[in-house]
Amino acid sequence: MRSLASWEIELKRETLEVDVLIVGGGPAGLSAALRLADLQKRKGGQRLVIAVIEKAREAGAHILSGAVFDPSSLNDLIPDWRERGAPVETPVQSDKVYFLTDRGKIRFPFTPPPLKNHGNYLVSLNRFVKWLTTLAENEGINVFSGFAGVEVLYEEKQIVGVRTGDRGIGRDNKRKRRFEPGVDIRAKVTILADGARGNLTKSLIQRLLLDEHRLPQAYSIGIKELWEVPENRIAEGTVVHTLGFPLGFKNFGGGFIYALSGGQLSLGIVVGLDYRDTMFDPYVAFQQFKRHPFVSGLIAAGQMVRYGAKVLPEGGWYAIPRCYTDGALIIGDAGGFLDSLRLKGIHLAMRSGMLAAEAAYESLEINDFSAARLSRYEELINKSSIRRELYPVRNVHQSFSYGLLAGLAYSGLAMVTGGWWIRDPLIGHAGHKRLAKLESDYPRRSSLSEPLASTVTVNRKTTFDKLTSVYYSGTQHIEDQPSHLIVHNTDICRTDCYHEYGNPCLRFCPASVYELVDHGGDSGKQLKINASNCIHCKACDVIDPYQIIDWIPPEGGGGPNYEGM
Amino acid sequence: MVLVIAEHWEDVLNPATWEIVVAAQQIAQPIKLVVLGAEVPTVVKELSGVDIDEILIVEHEELAAYTSDGFVEALQQVIQQQQPDLVLLPHTYQTRDFAPRLAARLDRTIITDCVSFKYHEQKLVFVRPMFQGKLYADVIALGAMPHFATFQRGAFSLDLLRRRDGPVTTKEVTVSIQREFIRQQPGQRFQEAKPEIDLGQAERIVAVGRGIKTEENLKLVSRLAEVLKAEIAASRPICDAGWLPMDRQVGSSGQTVAPKLYLAVGISGAIQHLVGMKGSKAIVAINRDPDAPIFEVADYGIVGDLFEVVSALISELGD
Repeated sequence: MRSLASWEIELKRETLEVDVLIVGGGPAGLSAALRLADLQKRKGGQRLVIAVIEKAREAGAHILSGAVFDPSSLNDLIPDWRERGAPVETPVQSDKVYFLTDRGKIRFPFTPPPLKNHGNYLVSLNRFVKWLTTLAENEGINVFSGFAGVEVLYEEKQIVGVRTGDRGIGRDNKRKRRFEPGVDIRAKVTILADGARGNLTKSLIQRLLLDEHRLPQAYSIGIKELWEVPENRIAEGTVVHTLGFPLGFKNFGGGFIYALSGGQLSLGIVVGLDYRDTMFDPYVAFQQFKRHPFVSGLIAAGQMVRYGAKVLPEGGWYAIPRCYTDGALIIGDAGGFLDSLRLKGIHLAMRSGMLAAEAAYESLEINDFSAARLSRYEELINKSSIRRELYPVRNVHQSFSYGLLAGLAYSGLAMVTGGWWIRDPLIGHAGHKRLAKLESDYPRRSSLSEPLASTVTVNRKTTFDKLTSVYYSGTQHIEDQPSHLIVHNTDICRTDCYHEYGNPCLRFCPASVYELVDHGGDSGKQLKINASNCIHCKACDVIDPYQIIDWIPPEGGGGPNYEGM
Repeated sequence: MVLVIAEHWEDVLNPATWEIVVAAQQIAQPIKLVVLGAEVPTVVKELSGVDIDEILIVEHEELAAYTSDGFVEALQQVIQQQQPDLVLLPHTYQTRDFAPRLAARLDRTIITDCVSFKYHEQKLVFVRPMFQGKLYADVIALGAMPHFATFQRGAFSLDLLRRRDGPVTTKEVTVSIQREFIRQQPGQRFQEAKPEIDLGQAERIVAVGRGIKTEENLKLVSRLAEVLKAEIAASRPICDAGWLPMDRQVGSSGQTVAPKLYLAVGISGAIQHLVGMKGSKAIVAINRDPDAPIFEVADYGIVGDLFEVVSALISELGD
């Protein structure tokens, strides 16, 4: 560990005082900021100082989604978004759901209601977030990009802000010539919008037990590529969702193909990070998906433009932690506001940000930032469209842990019963606990269509190796810095993990961060962390069976560049 | 007339300036070169014998240390007096600091970070990389002359520098700079973590990848580099393991090189590496795997055990 104490003596940290600090410049954080600015304008009074910090070098560079966008929250936040040039331009024209067999496809006779997207839009979330950021800056909101929050600041039990990361620390944990200490941003209300498995929210939940009496959050990993394909291959505005191949009946998840304008295709898969097979590799499954005749026909002779991956919270209503505490609120994916049945979270993230803004504003008016006062946020959520949307599907994700058919059956039933089931809530497990040990699961594994899902031959035209994909994520980190992936005990890798799980980190990471290197001798292979490959998806933090990996932000600005994604 | 703005530090010309002279020699004549400073005789002496038409000397006490205000002020006057058609600069930190302002002050076009030029329908076209070098854009400057352009380090080979007998005529140009115009106070000069070696200047590079397996085997390849009088470089895994210093890393998170000979030993050719060396004149790859992507960019490929091949090369080339 870095010897922080010895630094502090000579370290002059700058402090910045604001009214509201928002950590994370995604749809949730920016909606909160914009709503706050709007409330202040409408109600008058003293000008609020609002700051947003974002770890990406540029607005939107770390954001990743499909994305089918439900404009309901945007309609409320910015009613004249069309006139103001929102990059929300491709209305969904048709929905198709297919069950993929190994070589063929069966179209669902009807599109299940939750997957009907009439009135929704296909968007690049990267462009949408850039646009929101510009609006926020025009409102006088300070958006600091390239700054990651690394630590929550407490005074007693009150949260009073966030510390940003130091710059200029070498790989040896020593200061480099251009060392710059992080800044303490102190705020009356801190709104955490640090995304799925956000590092600050994670620390907060652990410290304050905010997930007591809740189901453990369940995550999926989404892997996506942006393609440019010859025009007229698929009609603009077409939305395709697939089940079946290559995930089979046991793994939660499916594929998506969205036809954007100008011959751009967004395609990817979403896989529950609660799979049992330790040899399973979500990245390889994605390559298999692209080799399916249906998909390969769409992308043949096309050009892959960008690659990305990130986790998303799919646990639903019962997995949402307590989202308020003394001095702080949690919004967006960080809080788990995502509808896994409709496969949508952007509008809920935005809505949670807007409601948090309202609760924070009320607190500011009476200068009371206690948990009791900020619990107003939960009250607002319970009265809002968030609950109306999430509560009826509260058991959906958990039902899929009984298999695809059980999940589908439940999902269908939930529409009739309003989500009620004999057992409510259904039992949920943290995903990493479901990973099966080698000896218990082999040789019974059968759900995958290939003998070893961890290998796939790539043709470098439509399918690629991980390292090439990493290049297309645009990820960049300063090499000379400490690893931002902390593995607390690397001995486990060559002892317990090697025998019990066969080092799944080699497979669950979609960016080749983890590698085992043989240095000769008897000690066996040793873990090598290629932290600069990291695309900030956080799958490792979620699914590592020993839970000894901590994802912390690298030096501000490092990470992928999801331009156009 | 092409005006080259020289850059120097304590009486020594930045080598990047020489490359810009080469660029100017290839683009058009006549060529004038401007040197700024409080006293610049030594710098000027260095320039004698180069095939250019005139050296403009701008001496002023306010130019003793570089400030962007001082340079913009002085160069604006020089350009207005001399009326060049084109102003060329090396794409250095200093240029990045003042050149955009200078161009804006004169309301002229600037094209930065170029790697080459060409003529298209009698128009001068500059080529500059975009999207991390994935694409090259052809750019034509619009608007009134002079146009400004900066070239990347290594874009022009010093071998092509034309010399001639005898000194170059020099001319002093007077400028007026008022002290109060200068708002910057030069601090200590920024020293970039100095690469022990500037691989960008190497004519021959022998690069190693993870195919060498152990640190021990680096010696063999180093020996090959020695007999070839080449610099040794590596792909990321080698530097990451600490077998070679990080400033010998070639690729997207290391240096970009374009030597005459690039000999890749045990490098599979991940795209991150290829973007750093694909501009090399001749690429020779030695790899055990015939499907390794490096062979797609290689001019000569040897599929085989690198220890055998490297040993054979050493005994053939050595002594």
